[in-house]
Amino acid sequence: MAEWEKRIFGIHTVMMAESTHLDKALPKYPLSQVPTSFKDTWTWASLRTGAESMQPFEYFKYRYYEKWLMGISQFFVDRGYVTAKELATLTEHYRANPDAPLPERPNPALKEQVVRYLHHGDSGLRAPVAPVRFAVGDTVYVADPEAADHTRLPGFLRNKKGTVTEVYPGAFEYFVSTGPDSLAGPQHVYCVSFDASDIWGADKSEPNTVIYADLFDAYLKPPH
Amino acid sequence: MSSLFDYDKNREAASAAKVRALEALLIKKGVLGSDSVDAVLSHFETVAGPFNGARIVARAWLDSEYKRRLLEDTPKAIAELQFPGMTGAEGEHMKAVANSETVHNLIICTLCSCYPWPVLGLPPYWYKDPVFRSRGVREPRAVLREFGVPISADKEVKVWDSSAQIRWFVIPERPANSEHLNEEQLAALVTPEAMMGVALVPPPQAT
Repeated sequence: MAEWEKRIFGIHTVMMAESTHLDKALPKYPLSQVPTSFKDTWTWASLRTGAESMQPFEYFKYRYYEKWLMGISQFFVDRGYVTAKELATLTEHYRANPDAPLPERPNPALKEQVVRYLHHGDSGLRAPVAPVRFAVGDTVYVADPEAADHTRLPGFLRNKKGTVTEVYPGAFEYFVSTGPDSLAGPQHVYCVSFDASDIWGADKSEPNTVIYADLFDAYLKPPH
Repeated sequence: MSSLFDYDKNREAASAAKVRALEALLIKKGVLGSDSVDAVLSHFETVAGPFNGARIVARAWLDSEYKRRLLEDTPKAIAELQFPGMTGAEGEHMKAVANSETVHNLIICTLCSCYPWPVLGLPPYWYKDPVFRSRGVREPRAVLREFGVPISADKEVKVWDSSAQIRWFVIPERPANSEHLNEEQLAALVTPEAMMGVALVPPPQAT
């Protein structure tokens, strides 16, 4: 990882650690006591939605952390934390003076929150609100919901036949609703196995190969 | 619109300067402290990393009862070792799967780059590359062969796509001629790649 890639990874992780939604997270973070001017929700979903809704050519044109840097900078401009002009001006300054120092303003209480977040995370585990629909051993088909800006359904599994191998205890809530893609609120999650031949076709797949995916309830349907 | 096809003449310097400018502005505006990003990076040097996974694997090799518990309830078995931060970010729900004489496991995230941070640290670049993410499920045996891990047709290949809450990792097979090694020496043989399923653990060098 290049040094600058580490920095953007770090900025993203601090944003997740001070995201406003964390006051309701399972570890009960004391977010109101954390001194920060960041007043937005920022989760993995924010970053992933940004990347998945990029112009497709640009998605392939840029490297992984280049996409992060573009998405995160744009977010701070769009939300009014910085202006495009001050970012451009300061970027020129650091380009001409790569070793010029950063401002020295430690924030011990924010640092504590970052360490707390790294140690305790942000689990989506919730109490179930609907009955379990499938049991281990059940044959299921993967749904084909409308394409949206963001999904947790691997595209290659749409409409494929699989077998439930595990029903995870509890329910899980994804960071955001994905609208027509159908994630919203707590849902059961199932581990589903797929024979490679059922995904790619018997004569087009490798032998003796099984793909497992963890799928939210809304992505599954019973056999016709 | 030729700019669509253009890159900055020095992409690395451009990105480096932009990140530094962004971090400086965010410090100035009170979104970050000047010690915030360093706190994240130091976590991945000292608390979360493949050194944890390697010790968990070594323990499983030495203690078959521990291995059974690790496969049955991964977080509970990891908690026995009392490493800090093991249910932290991207490790809230982890599961181990074991390679054996009959099964070879590969972990992947076809949608993005989900990875069990507390036990493996941060994923390498290729794990996030769209080519690995698509070919890893389309032709995992071919990909494994390219990684130097040919799997015979009679051995089952299981690919684990980290598409919801679970972060998977692999307990590789214990190498031959390692009976005399203690836990620390065994852990030193275990690489992050072996715990992703794209490498085997080689036998120890003869001394």
